[in-house]
Amino acid sequence: MKKILSILTMLLLGVSLIACGEKTTTVSTSSFDETKTINVYTRDTTSGTRTGFMEGIGFAEAATSDSVLVEGFLIKDNTGILSTIGIDEYGIGYVSLSSVNNTIKGLSFNGVAPTEANVINDTYGLKRPFMWMLRADGDYPSQDVEDIVNAFVAFLGTTDGGDIINNQGAIALPSTTTWDSIKANHDVCIQDNSDITVRFGGSDSIQKVAQALTAAFMPKCGNFVAEHDHTGSSDAYKRTNDPAIKDTSVGKDVGFASRNFRGAELEVPAIQRGQLAWDAIVAIVNLNNPLTGVTAEDLKKMYDGTYTTWADIQG
Amino acid sequence: MIAEAKKLQFRSTSKGKITDKIAKIIFMSATILSASFIFVIAGIVLVRGVIPFTTDNLGVGRVSLFSFLTGDIWLIGETFASNLYSIGFIIISTLFITLLSLAISFPVGVLTALFIAKIAPKPLAKVLRTVIETLASIPSIVFGLFGAGVILKLVYDFSALIGYQSKGGNSILSVVIVLALMTIPTITTISEVAIRSVDKSIEQGSLALGASKTQTNFKVILSSAKSGIFTAAILGIGRSLGEATAVSLVAGGRRAGISFDLLDTTSTLTTIMLEGLKETTGIDYDIRFSVGLVLMVVILLTNLLLNSIKRRVGVVNVKE
Amino acid sequence: MSKNKKRKASDFVLNSITYLSSTVSLITLLGILIFIFGQGFKLLNVDLLVENFESQGYVADLYDNVRLCNCEPTIEFDENTYYSPKWGVALSDTTDLLGRTVVKVEFVDKDSPLYKVRDKGIGNDPIELRDEYHIIRIAFDEYPTALSRYGSENMINYLEANDSLREIEFQTEGGGIRGSIITTLYLIVLTLAFALPIGIAAAIYLNEYAPANKVTKLMRSLIETLTGVPSIIYGLMGLAVFVPLTVKLTSATGGNLLSGAMTLAVILLPIIIRTTEESLKVIPDDYRQASLALGASKTQTTFQIVLPSAVPGIMTATLLAIGRIIGESAALVFAIGTAIKDEVSLTGKSTSLAVHIWAMMTDEPANIELSATIAIIIMFIVVILNILIKIISGRYMKRKMGVSS
Repeated sequence: MKKILSILTMLLLGVSLIACGEKTTTVSTSSFDETKTINVYTRDTTSGTRTGFMEGIGFAEAATSDSVLVEGFLIKDNTGILSTIGIDEYGIGYVSLSSVNNTIKGLSFNGVAPTEANVINDTYGLKRPFMWMLRADGDYPSQDVEDIVNAFVAFLGTTDGGDIINNQGAIALPSTTTWDSIKANHDVCIQDNSDITVRFGGSDSIQKVAQALTAAFMPKCGNFVAEHDHTGSSDAYKRTNDPAIKDTSVGKDVGFASRNFRGAELEVPAIQRGQLAWDAIVAIVNLNNPLTGVTAEDLKKMYDGTYTTWADIQG
Repeated sequence: MIAEAKKLQFRSTSKGKITDKIAKIIFMSATILSASFIFVIAGIVLVRGVIPFTTDNLGVGRVSLFSFLTGDIWLIGETFASNLYSIGFIIISTLFITLLSLAISFPVGVLTALFIAKIAPKPLAKVLRTVIETLASIPSIVFGLFGAGVILKLVYDFSALIGYQSKGGNSILSVVIVLALMTIPTITTISEVAIRSVDKSIEQGSLALGASKTQTNFKVILSSAKSGIFTAAILGIGRSLGEATAVSLVAGGRRAGISFDLLDTTSTLTTIMLEGLKETTGIDYDIRFSVGLVLMVVILLTNLLLNSIKRRVGVVNVKE
Repeated sequence: MSKNKKRKASDFVLNSITYLSSTVSLITLLGILIFIFGQGFKLLNVDLLVENFESQGYVADLYDNVRLCNCEPTIEFDENTYYSPKWGVALSDTTDLLGRTVVKVEFVDKDSPLYKVRDKGIGNDPIELRDEYHIIRIAFDEYPTALSRYGSENMINYLEANDSLREIEFQTEGGGIRGSIITTLYLIVLTLAFALPIGIAAAIYLNEYAPANKVTKLMRSLIETLTGVPSIIYGLMGLAVFVPLTVKLTSATGGNLLSGAMTLAVILLPIIIRTTEESLKVIPDDYRQASLALGASKTQTTFQIVLPSAVPGIMTATLLAIGRIIGESAALVFAIGTAIKDEVSLTGKSTSLAVHIWAMMTDEPANIELSATIAIIIMFIVVILNILIKIISGRYMKRKMGVSS
């Protein structure tokens, strides 16, 4: 009796697994129905990507406010938007260009395809700045740390730094100076810095670029140690300059933000902040969606609820 | 309870009296320490959580407690510039989701425990126990990944099949499934301990009276293990209420309006907390602690309720 | 007769339900296994487990008076490898431990100007460009830089087009998770060292000593309430209480392993207390009475009679606890931090496997494949630990039985 039961169970299990497997592998071949509602996906209000996107499509008030968005929108993180757009035939979302892969379709913006070449030649318009912010002069754990940080910022403006930024899929600002030509100004880099830790933080969208930059700069500057802890754009300011936080255990020496600084962040002296790169944002849809391009106008109307079905866009 | 009281009436010999006293004090302080952590946590949450209601939030204005608890739009206006927060609809959907997920995980978990402890052949039981223990240790973010990669797809296809345009599968149903799968191991493990601990004599008594093995398992053993099974349910509910990472990947981040539609998007108290914790100051950050405060009150009330139920059903004590 | 049949039928139905219920967990685990193996299997290899996470970077240029190689390769290459006769180097496109495409050095001719290059950093010794390095970029004078992003063929073409170079950047592989594995094991031991004694002591008090009054009831529900506190809040408690505490008492400067373990210990307390108490509850009172009647003190009874009988329950608690320690991420993100480190110390920052996954998932774009790979490793560790603990407790039970008989 028991044996029969266990055999039965195993059979049942096998069948259900096969059924499961089949369900996940068959791609739904149904044709695209334009009368269906547009499902609008967005990042939450702390996201630098969201700020960049909303400002780029002329819907700046939606950068920090959920209540101006179309009713029934969905909030997901970067990975969530990518994976759900891969499933949802009627969804629209947006991600950073470096995240675009073959499971979704990136839309051209105002007639320009979202390619690296188009971002570098400055024809693709939907982009956001990558910014850096430093602590106040003399407010570092040691003079050496301050000198290394200043050398690092100088490095960001060189072609050598720019190469590293481009190598990570972001777009460096144009430059002609090399690190070789300015390194004489930074004596700190010729000493052994292997026991000095510099703390980097801020936007998680910039983490990869920042890690590549410090990895490239470490051998150029006495093998100092870079510690990366990236949490979000707002922390670029808070963890370097907010008096309540900068001296706690989460304090940082360099903070990065993937959007323009705003509000209280702008009270930090201009010499302590600057831009290092541009990053493109791409509107994405499901592969089954016949749409190939949108305008800023289209996107704004989708996100504010003027367009509710996919047929509205074609018209 | 009565049985426990009886235990205390044992009289210790004079020899070990001092060691007994010291041991008792050590044991007691461990208990007090364990129990006091909730105050530390409550203190931290309270200090921050009341800020939105007691200060003017750097000029934004005080949040009204009543509309916070009853309203059905998360936030009207701009983040950091508006005080119109409310979570009434989120409290209700959180409870709804927890109840639904328990409705799946409780019977499945308890029956699995019974199967492992009493019915399954030994090798199968061993395998299953390892399965459960492995499941229990899967990081919730992996459950989330699985949810986002597999369950969302299944729910999306299912709703397409019944002619409903779901939002990429992000729905109450997906959340309930993910939570149920996550709580089954907890419920099973603790129920199994309870079932195994049922006195052999009770089982033998039932068998001797002519009940079949199965009848004994279901009627006598399950009801004898009631107390432990209830504990399992309480821990399961705790896990459902407190889970954030996995849920936020399949919930959809609903921001307004209550919905009991299984295929519609939703938010829970934990997902709304998680989404704002990237900030470190300001009203939009402090309000997450207010949500945490509400969550803890919800948990406390649920526990009190369940414990009183447990006392009522647990009156028939097996040991007597 | 028919009653008997009916009973048999209902027994069959009931039994089948339990079989079905059990398959749910089995299917879930298999589903998750299939999912993570499908995603993460190709990144799974020994290097990932034993390599450092940090890669060692080098920047170098050519020594003066070196001549170009202009030599034919001395070994054969496959079709994905590109060779520059001028420079005598061969490069190929491969994927690293993190699944990213990189340019790897395959071969450097002994006569190549790149065979020994001058360290532009602080080191004075020449660096050998070995075939384990990944090239990041090669910069030239008056010519665009060759970036690893555009592949090895492009890099070889650029090399062929130039007779000298300004600098070359390369690094060791990196991306391994050795540090996170060690941290996770440290965390398990430390956390259990904090949580088990306190948890078991509390369970003993609640079951053996506590009077059945309102205070006991209150304590019990206070402890139970802990189970429902979301992990994030535990994390914030760790940040607010344990991190400053350890910073004050030890050489730690921020979140550290000790503060992480303490935070995890608090999370585990209710689970350990509850499970232990359940197993204490079922020890027949006869045992205690017999022991006391033989003249043992209450303490002796507790330690020699009650506690040993509760060992299986405590083992279950330990297993549940280990599962939770390995799986916990949200709390540790705050209580330790997300810095991935290769050197693990009790008072240093480093991170567990689950937080390693978390860090990979919050990257943009998320590295789902590596996350799945780490998940496979986590499950593997769990199964091994399960088996170990079962062997130990099995031995213990046997010995105990041997003594009593």
